[in-house]
Amino acid sequence: MLRRLTYGQVYLLLALLLAASVIASASIGAFMFPPSAIARFVGEGLSLLPSRPDDILDRNVFFILRLPRVLLCGLTGAILGVSGALMQGLFRNPIVEPGLAGTSAGAALGAAIVFVFGSSTAFSFASPLGTAGVPLLAFLCSFGATMLVYRLSTSFGRTDVFTLLLAGIALNAMCNAGTGFLSYIARDPQARNITFWNLGTFTTADWRGAILVGIAFAACFVLALRHGKNLNALMLGEDNAAYMGVEPERLIFRLIVINTIMVSVATAMVGVIAFVGLVVPHLLRLMRSSDYTFLLPASALLGALLMEIVDIVARLVIQPAELPIGIITALLGAPFFLWILIRERRSDTYG
Amino acid sequence: MADAAVRIRDVSYAAGSVQILSAIALDFQPGRFNVVLGPNGAGKSTLMRIAAGRLAPTSGDVLYGETSVAAFDMTALARRRAFLSQNVELTFPLAVEDVVLMGRYPHYRGVPSLKDKEIVARALDLVDMTARRHQPYPTLSGGERQKTHLARVLAQIWNDEESAEERILFLDEPTTSLDIHYQLHLLDTAREFLKRRCTIVASLHDLNMAFDYGDRFFLLESGRLVHEADSARAVPKDLIERVYRVKAETGEGGYWRFRL
Repeated sequence: MLRRLTYGQVYLLLALLLAASVIASASIGAFMFPPSAIARFVGEGLSLLPSRPDDILDRNVFFILRLPRVLLCGLTGAILGVSGALMQGLFRNPIVEPGLAGTSAGAALGAAIVFVFGSSTAFSFASPLGTAGVPLLAFLCSFGATMLVYRLSTSFGRTDVFTLLLAGIALNAMCNAGTGFLSYIARDPQARNITFWNLGTFTTADWRGAILVGIAFAACFVLALRHGKNLNALMLGEDNAAYMGVEPERLIFRLIVINTIMVSVATAMVGVIAFVGLVVPHLLRLMRSSDYTFLLPASALLGALLMEIVDIVARLVIQPAELPIGIITALLGAPFFLWILIRERRSDTYG
Repeated sequence: MADAAVRIRDVSYAAGSVQILSAIALDFQPGRFNVVLGPNGAGKSTLMRIAAGRLAPTSGDVLYGETSVAAFDMTALARRRAFLSQNVELTFPLAVEDVVLMGRYPHYRGVPSLKDKEIVARALDLVDMTARRHQPYPTLSGGERQKTHLARVLAQIWNDEESAEERILFLDEPTTSLDIHYQLHLLDTAREFLKRRCTIVASLHDLNMAFDYGDRFFLLESGRLVHEADSARAVPKDLIERVYRVKAETGEGGYWRFRL
């Protein structure tokens, strides 16, 4: 579809669509803000326009609730897209994504531990220690789960798909059981909300979360971009990558760390959102190329775009309530996953 | 004796308790088509991997010129030598020219230079794949895939400057599972590349083909070097018969015929 476009043109196209989806996502919701109002709020917020007293309520809703949500949503989508691309390169397999390999579930477990035990001691999520503690423990659990799945499914540089899926199922089940147990014993009503962990949502979005996820994304994305060529080389197997100057063992370890940091920070803030990381790089592969120097930036853009659209849907379908976004991504992503699996099996039998 | 391009100094390799190579000492000479011969399990692939710096020997050392291969950093090593193996797995839809461009990865950071792109174009031309450069790799036939990888490794060690140091091209059973046309094409192209200050180290199964293309032969048996020769005629028949466990006779034009 996009085969005739250069990489730059694809980025531009995705960026324009993303900009449109961000504006749409900022206007649509329980409070509707037409783009003109958004422009006015931003002008007033930056003191470029005189502040109109009758705007105060709307403006507060926009700046305190809507804007951080829109940003958090886009950043999370970008993280999940890039993570999917990284993990697919790492495992050399197009069916991997953070929700499947235990990365997200591990992060959710780590975050839940801090939430639940944090609020039962003097140490709460609102404290500075809690702000660092949630992503930190999320990272540790997520890293442990991902490494375990990688080690179990990959030997001598080859990933066995069935072991990968089974190890992912086992790790996800273990982490989900842990998270479920924690939310069952939790006193804090918010931490008790198990759907928050298993089906991510942006309802709790605030500026602190958006900024934290933004920093994690920026840092990890810059680091990940340097490995586009290395991931391409890794497609030819660890030995051939090594002959082209890549140290596969170090590369794999670094990529798992980078990937886990950004996924665990995002998951700690919004819960588990599955299948975005699977669908995004796959669509880009179908439309343009498997070249990772292209896939990494394009997955960030398409991930953010897709997530904004899904979030708009989540806010609209059962108004005035809203659907956890993970329900929608699973509903759309799972059939897509099955379709890829069938295609993979076919290409396996053809050898 | 001329300086060696690759000097294997008393290399032994053991995997657990299994001795795979025992005190191999030999020189791969510059500008030559060196051929490593030996039956399955003789240790050819292990020797090639050690010589290419991918595997560290249990004891002994490998030198490129005067420098131990262990002292190179990975990028410098990748500019010095390239390695073509028999079956490269790649299931992702990547264009042929993107695969060949990978050979230039050790030479640039960020985006490829004009020179890198020119070398990719010339390497594609050398293997007659220019017309297919935009085609997705998974849609190629086995022979075309191996041509693509040959272009990739040639681009990796492309040598334009007279003063540049000797490059080394390792070919580990590169013609396995290719039809006769692609076998000849691959070996012809590699042989042509010798002119660019390049040394070839190849392991080959087809003895007649090996004797046609090679100009230096090393025969391995159970991890030991049992014979070195400069021409096919200098490889004793009874040795071939013993090592490969066949009966051999030389026929017309010096070609060998084998029976069990």
